[in-house]
Amino acid sequence: MDLMKSLIVILLSSVLVNNYVLSRFLGICPFLGVSKKLDQATGMGVSVTAVMLLATAVTWPIQHLLLDRVGLGYMQTIIFILVIAALVQMLELILKRFFPALHKNLGVYLPLITTNCAVLGVAINNITDGYSFLESIVSSLGCGLGFLLAMVLFSGMRSRIDETNIPKPFRGLAVTLIAASFISLAFMGFAGVVDALFA
Amino acid sequence: MKNSVKSTLVLVCICAVMALMLAVTNAITAPIIEKNQSAAANEALLQVMPGGQGFEKMDISGYTLPATVTEAYKEANGGYVFTLQTTGYSSGLVIMCGVNADGTVSGATCLSSTETLGYEKTFGDNFNGKNSDGVDAVDTISGATKTTGAYRAAVKDALNAAIILGGGSVDLRTEEEILNDNLSAALPAGEGKFTKLFIVEVIEGIDAVYTADNGKGAVCIVGEQFVAVDEAGAVITDAPADISANVAAQMAVLNAATTTDIDLTQYEGLPSACLSAKKTATGNYILEMRGAGYGINGGDDYHPASGEYIYIRVSMTADGKIIDCLTTSQAETANIGSVCGEESFYGQFVGKTESDYNEIDAISGATLTTNGYKKAIERAFTSVKILEGGATHEE
Amino acid sequence: MKNNGNMTTLLKGILVENPVLVLILGTCPTLATTTNVAGAFGMGIAALVVLVCSNILISLLRKIIPDNVRIPCYIVIIAGFVTMVQMIVQAFFPALYEMLGVYLALITVNCIILGRAEMFASKNSVGKSALDGIGMGLGFTLALCAMAVIREVFGNASFAGMPIPFFEPFKIAFLVKAPGGMLVYGLLIALVSAVTRGKAPAKTEFSCEGCPSAGNCHTGLCQAKGEEL
Repeated sequence: MDLMKSLIVILLSSVLVNNYVLSRFLGICPFLGVSKKLDQATGMGVSVTAVMLLATAVTWPIQHLLLDRVGLGYMQTIIFILVIAALVQMLELILKRFFPALHKNLGVYLPLITTNCAVLGVAINNITDGYSFLESIVSSLGCGLGFLLAMVLFSGMRSRIDETNIPKPFRGLAVTLIAASFISLAFMGFAGVVDALFA
Repeated sequence: MKNSVKSTLVLVCICAVMALMLAVTNAITAPIIEKNQSAAANEALLQVMPGGQGFEKMDISGYTLPATVTEAYKEANGGYVFTLQTTGYSSGLVIMCGVNADGTVSGATCLSSTETLGYEKTFGDNFNGKNSDGVDAVDTISGATKTTGAYRAAVKDALNAAIILGGGSVDLRTEEEILNDNLSAALPAGEGKFTKLFIVEVIEGIDAVYTADNGKGAVCIVGEQFVAVDEAGAVITDAPADISANVAAQMAVLNAATTTDIDLTQYEGLPSACLSAKKTATGNYILEMRGAGYGINGGDDYHPASGEYIYIRVSMTADGKIIDCLTTSQAETANIGSVCGEESFYGQFVGKTESDYNEIDAISGATLTTNGYKKAIERAFTSVKILEGGATHEE
Repeated sequence: MKNNGNMTTLLKGILVENPVLVLILGTCPTLATTTNVAGAFGMGIAALVVLVCSNILISLLRKIIPDNVRIPCYIVIIAGFVTMVQMIVQAFFPALYEMLGVYLALITVNCIILGRAEMFASKNSVGKSALDGIGMGLGFTLALCAMAVIREVFGNASFAGMPIPFFEPFKIAFLVKAPGGMLVYGLLIALVSAVTRGKAPAKTEFSCEGCPSAGNCHTGLCQAKGEEL
């Protein structure tokens, strides 16, 4: 029961309170770059969630069963980023070969994910936070869903921005960032909510 | 094919070179990082032991330390620093306490807590430079007795732990554990489970009697001596002849005691606080009394409001001298009024008469509880007088 | 002429092609580490060191590294330097290490560094690559510091952790929170765009220039790829 509770807390807080994009500034590049249309935003969000889950499932055992055992903890960054890059490649190949329809929809986002700092960030944070394997998986699921949520919400916002007349210096990224600031402000309201739910 | 072999080879080479460079950097920086980290950890230790040097974390798994001790650090000059986890008003009171080589407290501080009033933040300063007796003498703060009491106990634990780690030995047993150990030693057949016998006869030369729960005899405490008696009443402890003889004689009196119930309805004017009464063949009375607890209006049981009663068993000679007294149940405020349920309180009534029972000190912070208790004892004296006067109602 | 070219290589990163404010690369650390001037400066210098080292090494190896595995090679090289910088910072600047946390490791995936490796170092001489690294690194550091000064002074009434007297009652705590960072960044970009109108490369859309996959990316998501260098 306590395990269940702690997992739910981890999930909710990584989706809402510590949203990777909106409060920890990880994965900002795709957040700003690929959020123009709803379908793009959803595709990117789903792909990132999948890669995060896979990356955590692979990197957690590598860190705890391999690197820590042989005292090579400092190889963490190199190994993790290589694993993520390889995973992304493999995922793309598999999708292309076996699920061409899915690949057509999601494949285009995959190459962009290797350098998505949210993925590496989740993998490293799960280690530094001392999560167990199960907690790590739940935490990456939460982070991915949080990313998806932020992307989807933001794409709606951007479609509104496109319809308005913006002063020239603000056009492009400036107004996008200011809009992102508002959505992040809204998410600040979640602070403390999860703790209060289970207090 | 040749191409991919070359590619793989280059990648592997680059990986190897980078790994080598990392290993070199790591070899250079790792000792410095470790030093930094231990310096950061030492900063906290220095707070409780200013001037301490060369702290080293100890492996305490091989020692029997007070249960509150979670971590121990040895200092180069023979001092120790302990992290202790205890429970004050709520759990999770973590205290760090330094002990100098001479056994005095070098400093104590609260690392984290969930207490409400915040007294734990500064309370540690009271212990600076104190030795074991000095720590005992530090007063708890009224209104935060639990927090500060637990704090003081933790500091005391740290002092004891330092003695143990220094090669000495400390009796970590509580008073009850010591008593139980002594009883078991005197009467192994009791299997470590004893209950204090409620005395209903006047006995001489014996301070207390504990009977084995399994019925295999009893242990009499005579001064410092523990004298065991078997089921048949024979003394089995090797004690001086006069003591053995006395114990055997007194135990025979106790074992021979018989009681008869008294029908209270036969007597007029008995206080309602007297719930039931028995009389022994030797003429002593055993009364079940009801006292008004803290929650009952002003300690007077005639106007019960919301609180709970205190139930007291008293045995008394016919001429009004208390033989034994026991609180059978109570629900007073924990750690304040609840003291009335401890032998240290009710044991004081033993041997008292109507003229001097009132001299017993009130329980600190629980005047109403004490008043209610004394009122019940007063009514016990009244009841015995009435019962001695004979039945007023004839059938 | 040659010197002039070198000068341009160095300076363009600081001004005209400032990676943060004009090319809009490396947004994550820009937002995350600019609540404190000291942290921002440390982050900038750490990235600069990684950028210069990886640029030099990649430029040296550019003839050896086969095209098909170049991205993994770059990643390994960059991650290696990042880890080294991480260890050095942890050893000699533990306070900074605490402040930057995971963002130090995440320099690995900072688009600026991969982007410069892919777009510049793999095509230019060692000297020019080093200069490019220094220029871009300085531009990154300057932009971070500018952001941090605004956010820390107005948001926390302090400078590099030292409180500014009499300023305390006027601080706007919002600025050091997450949304404040995005707002300040957005306003700064607008300011730079207003000042350099016509001079800076027009950026109407988010750029994938720094994305190492930009070359293979035919999806139309990246409209501004392949900037003239």
